[in-house]
Amino acid sequence: MILAGLDVFANSLDFIVDRRELLLEKTWEHVELSIAALLLSILIAVPIGVVLGHLHRGSFLAVNLANIGRALPTLVVIAVGFTIFGIGYTNVIVALVILGVPPILTNAYVAVDEVDRDAVEAARGMGMTPLQVLLRVEVPLALPLLFAGIRTAAVFIVATATIAAIAGGGGLGDILVNQAAYRVEGLVAAALCVSALALAADGLLGLVQRWVTPAGLKQQISTFEPDVRPVV
Amino acid sequence: MIRKHNRRAAKAAFAIALGVAIVLGGAAAAPAGVDRGQATPIIIGTKDFPEQYVLGQLYKQALEAKGFKVQYKENIGSTELIDKSLRSGKVTFYPEYTGIMLSVTFGKKTLPKTALGTYNLAKQLYGKRGQTLLKQTPFQDRDAIAVLRTTANKFGVKTVGDLKKIPDLTLAGFPQFETRWAPSLKKNYGVSFDFTPLAGTSAYTLLSQQKVLAAAIFSTDPQLISTKYVVLSEPRNLFGFQYVAPVLDKDLVSENGSSFSSTVNKVSALLTTRAMIAMNKAVAIDKKPAASVARSFLKANKLN
Amino acid sequence: MAEPVLPDFGEASDCVAENRFFCTDWVRENWDPVLQPALVQHIYLTAIAVGVGFVISLGAALLAHRLRYVERPVAIVAAVIYTIPSLALFQLLVPVTGLTVTTVEIALVGYTVLILFRNTLAGLRSVPAEVLEAARGMGLTRNQTLLRVELPLAVPAIIAGLRIAVVSTIALATVAAFVVSKGLGGPILGALRLDFRTEIIAAGALAVGLAIVADGLLVLLQRAVTPWATARTAT
Repeated sequence: MILAGLDVFANSLDFIVDRRELLLEKTWEHVELSIAALLLSILIAVPIGVVLGHLHRGSFLAVNLANIGRALPTLVVIAVGFTIFGIGYTNVIVALVILGVPPILTNAYVAVDEVDRDAVEAARGMGMTPLQVLLRVEVPLALPLLFAGIRTAAVFIVATATIAAIAGGGGLGDILVNQAAYRVEGLVAAALCVSALALAADGLLGLVQRWVTPAGLKQQISTFEPDVRPVV
Repeated sequence: MIRKHNRRAAKAAFAIALGVAIVLGGAAAAPAGVDRGQATPIIIGTKDFPEQYVLGQLYKQALEAKGFKVQYKENIGSTELIDKSLRSGKVTFYPEYTGIMLSVTFGKKTLPKTALGTYNLAKQLYGKRGQTLLKQTPFQDRDAIAVLRTTANKFGVKTVGDLKKIPDLTLAGFPQFETRWAPSLKKNYGVSFDFTPLAGTSAYTLLSQQKVLAAAIFSTDPQLISTKYVVLSEPRNLFGFQYVAPVLDKDLVSENGSSFSSTVNKVSALLTTRAMIAMNKAVAIDKKPAASVARSFLKANKLN
Repeated sequence: MAEPVLPDFGEASDCVAENRFFCTDWVRENWDPVLQPALVQHIYLTAIAVGVGFVISLGAALLAHRLRYVERPVAIVAAVIYTIPSLALFQLLVPVTGLTVTTVEIALVGYTVLILFRNTLAGLRSVPAEVLEAARGMGLTRNQTLLRVELPLAVPAIIAGLRIAVVSTIALATVAAFVVSKGLGGPILGALRLDFRTEIIAAGALAVGLAIVADGLLVLLQRAVTPWATARTAT
């Protein structure tokens, strides 16, 4: 049984080589879609989360949003989106943003909320306006945790984009859900590609996260992600 | 320190959880081994689309009405997968299309020129593997190309060859359609087209929204009940023949006698194109459960 | 050849014909043949995954509690597996175990083990040092300490982990439908192909509802077993 499995993996490597234009095209589609969704999620979630954290309001909403996001099966979100928007880009982007916003918003909120009060007091004491305090003190100190949230969202989005193929999303999911056309070898090949993509996105954003962390805070980054959850 | 009743509660919770886990684990492991015993079980499988659900239910219920014990595994997947299940014994009976038997299961590149030829060759090839075919149905469900009636009238298109008359022809279909038929369509009819692979939308939707001029469809699609679509004739039978015949373990026939085979054949004989389209419509468009549709049909024809 | 009799299969109700969002008549008609079996399969898939995963993770956590070096490799495996999209993980297992329930269960058990391992270990480690010393002072052996002190104190963390595992598994089990047609993902995929709203909404609602009910039951279990733990929103 294992031997048969190895055979399929060998064939899937053949597939990767033979059909590399197809895989490159699909990978590029996947990347485009993920980046668009991630940027949109950041645009929506960061301002809201940061402002709420600054005002120390709405903790119930911010924290529970992440819990609810965890419980929603991706397939259900996409399928219900399909009933509303039909096939196409809109549906897929909406679904991806719905799943990408919670981790970013929650982390943005917690990050700003938990900024050292002393630092904030000191800044205010120095005469900074609330906006200046926010932008020059709270946000920089909140960046590591904020980027952790963006990193989590990026991985969620890459994964969800895979399933989004069933609603016309394009990307590597097109191959992964189409056993009839691409056979098991194609599926395994696409699975390997999308795994590599997810790991690359995670790694890349991990580097960015480390880069934006002020030297003084570097030791505070834990090796465990704050919100570890299997990516649906 | 820990209060006694909480400790006990915790222990109890653990014991229960452990017990449940062990029982469930055992239950999961148990069905893995299928004990065939003496007789070959009748395990009917189907592929993953409505027509197959209907066929599966028809055979299942007809056999059960005659007192046979039938296990049912619906929605197995594509040809490759269900054939694998047949060979490994997870399934012992399933309805297959004669052309697909040759082109997919046995990998034949060229198909016989007649329907009967296709059937006989398939039966012969299956015979070498210990399987056989029962009688084939009057209907066939094969690839076909459809256009809107308005398009057909506008360009005077009646056959697949006439598609040459349409400039900038766009055609939508499942990805496999292009790989399997585009070259021979070009070669035999001089027809080429810009292909849109389907990924979730139905080709009929794209056709009615006039996003494409032609659609690769199947000849028993329920949407064909509507008069707005025209199916183009294909005189050279490039698309082959796709009558349905039940593929089954040879032992099923020898062990269960003539009552078994004749029941299955009686059902097959009733399946005309008109009947199949009507049942497909009931399931795919009117969203009736396949089991009830099959039951009504068998009842009306006195087979249950 | 005689023409068959074509019975009237019944027209689709207006609701279904117009593809409205939720047709109660369809749900009533199809509860028995479609929705209930899918729900039962889904519960079964989840229960097996969590049950088996619980046993394995408990063993692994106890091992990691004794032998420090076990933790790191498990953490790395967890990090990798959590990053790979679940659909991809299922498909990678297919060549080895085929398109069967086994493949699905292996992946689901894997995810469950990693969640529960982390929480169980954290729970075992959260036992304050003074408590352990007091136990040793009372003459308890290592194993007795484990059984009578550490494990019971770890129960809140374990149940919190169970909550996450159960809810995640219910969500993940919907993806199983891409591999083998079991669980609530099956009707959803079928309905997507047919563009049939009611079935999508019905099956989707069942999946979400199942997660909520399961989570609620586990909260009750949490309160019953550890009444001294405050009702924090355990994440």
